[in-house]
Amino acid sequence: MFHTEYKKLRVLKEKVFLFTIGALTLLAILPLFHIIISIFLKGVPVIAERGLSFITETFSNGGIGPAIIGTLILTFITTIIGVPLAFLAGTYAYEFPESFVGRATKVLLQIMLEFPTILVGTFIAGVVVFPMGTYSALAGALALAIILMPYVAIYTEEAMAEIPKIYKEGGYALGCTRTQVIFKVITKMAKKGILTGVLIGMAKVAGETAPLLYTAGGLYESYPTSLFEPIGALPLLIYNLVQSPSPEDHKMAWGAALVMLIIFLGIFVPIRYSLKKDIKI
Amino acid sequence: MNKILKNFDGFKLITTPAITVVFLLFASMLVFYFISSYPAIERYGIDLFIRNVWIAAEEASKEVYGLAAPIWGSIYTSIIAIIFAVPLSIAYAIYVNDYAPQKLKYPLIIISDIMAGLPTIIYGIWGALILVPLLRDHVMKFLYENFSFIPLFSYPPITGYCYLSAGILLGIMVIPFATAIIREAYAMIPTVYKEGLYALGATRYEATKVLIGYIKPAILSGFILAFGRALGETVAVSLVIGNSFNLTYELFAPGYTISSLIANQFGNAPIYQYMTPTLYAGGLVLFLIGLVVNIIGLYYLKRWRSHVSH
Repeated sequence: MFHTEYKKLRVLKEKVFLFTIGALTLLAILPLFHIIISIFLKGVPVIAERGLSFITETFSNGGIGPAIIGTLILTFITTIIGVPLAFLAGTYAYEFPESFVGRATKVLLQIMLEFPTILVGTFIAGVVVFPMGTYSALAGALALAIILMPYVAIYTEEAMAEIPKIYKEGGYALGCTRTQVIFKVITKMAKKGILTGVLIGMAKVAGETAPLLYTAGGLYESYPTSLFEPIGALPLLIYNLVQSPSPEDHKMAWGAALVMLIIFLGIFVPIRYSLKKDIKI
Repeated sequence: MNKILKNFDGFKLITTPAITVVFLLFASMLVFYFISSYPAIERYGIDLFIRNVWIAAEEASKEVYGLAAPIWGSIYTSIIAIIFAVPLSIAYAIYVNDYAPQKLKYPLIIISDIMAGLPTIIYGIWGALILVPLLRDHVMKFLYENFSFIPLFSYPPITGYCYLSAGILLGIMVIPFATAIIREAYAMIPTVYKEGLYALGATRYEATKVLIGYIKPAILSGFILAFGRALGETVAVSLVIGNSFNLTYELFAPGYTISSLIANQFGNAPIYQYMTPTLYAGGLVLFLIGLVVNIIGLYYLKRWRSHVSH
């Protein structure tokens, strides 16, 4: 009698448990859907009302064109500055995983990955913006490059570490130098992983706001022409608009957020899907 | 001559400058924050970190700053975030690994990755314009009206921009991050343990309980790293926290975090003589706390991984 009661209790506990973790999981992912749906609900009317001019016109004409171009330019310069350095640092961490410098590099990169981005912004403000006397696209891109580097470097290192050792040995056996083995054999084989790192890093920096606050400055009434002048960016514009009390500005912010969300999902989801078989379940 | 050429390693020659740049960058940031904050530390001493005052004045002699409230706010909101994220991310990780139907597993992983990568400003606009009014009308008002005798709930939720909103938004933002670490650790548990547990006749609840105990160190380091990430978050927090100097544990009171203080004040700081150094001092505190938290988290995670794989 007692035995069956006990068993029933255990089965009941299991059912309650399964229900609870299912419900908590639902609760954990609910915000994402709420975010996507509300941005579409609030953003679509704004864009529908203004049409194409929303993404081409300047701010006073009711558009966010300069911000979109600014984000593209910033992301592009950031990639040019950050990727080569990060790639080389990643290959170093891959080639010398046991040496002190190699290990320290990897730890440092992981720390930089978690580094508060606002501190990068104020650092660049102190060493670039204050001496130059003006906000500039260059300062914004430098700050973003510091944030991009650890992503690319860590992805490079991990992608290379997955290539079987035998290819490296084969390269050396053929009489290649270390430079040739790493840059011609391993890099080519790890191409996909490295490219993924670059794209994910770019998606990340394109969405960054904090490091741009006091470096890029913001420019929404005309298109950027020089690297040494202030530049606008989509996330920065949204941040400024949300802080304004006017409902008209909030409407613009929702429209801009929708554009940004579409760009982000358009880049991020295909990358993630292309990695489908790499995911461990 | 030949010997020199033989020892000459082109690879090191190419990569060493890159490594040097990375190290120099990090070192110069640390040095820069020390030097830039020195005027404020020299002038106010330890009071800069333990007092809650903010008097900006045209005359340098009348300026007084103390960062106690933002430092407290950073830690407090991150703790709220972790408390909020703990049950959700553990449940998420377990559900995806063991119990989700096969068809749901992959979408659930993608969803968590999208949440992790979503630009923080997107969380910010949603938090400021949708989450805050929602929390204020449906949660805070209820708690205030019925439970305001509990000191935590005694601040009237007028605007809704407060520590609690910031903590919950941060919690939502760190869930995917903590989940990823726990999920990875959970997947590393040798299958024999699971098989053994079921062979003993354990129910799924009992088996999971034991397995959770096994990965406890990884879960802990996951939350330490999530705490570090919550500390540094700027934009989303500064849009929902209310931005005022309040040194209190009351959940519905508006506050400041170090990063939101910098985001808000850095622009007009150069007008005052000591404000910029003070903000850099705040940055230094954030820098050092973040460094310590991340090193501890990474160290425990690494130790646990090598412990499991050997």
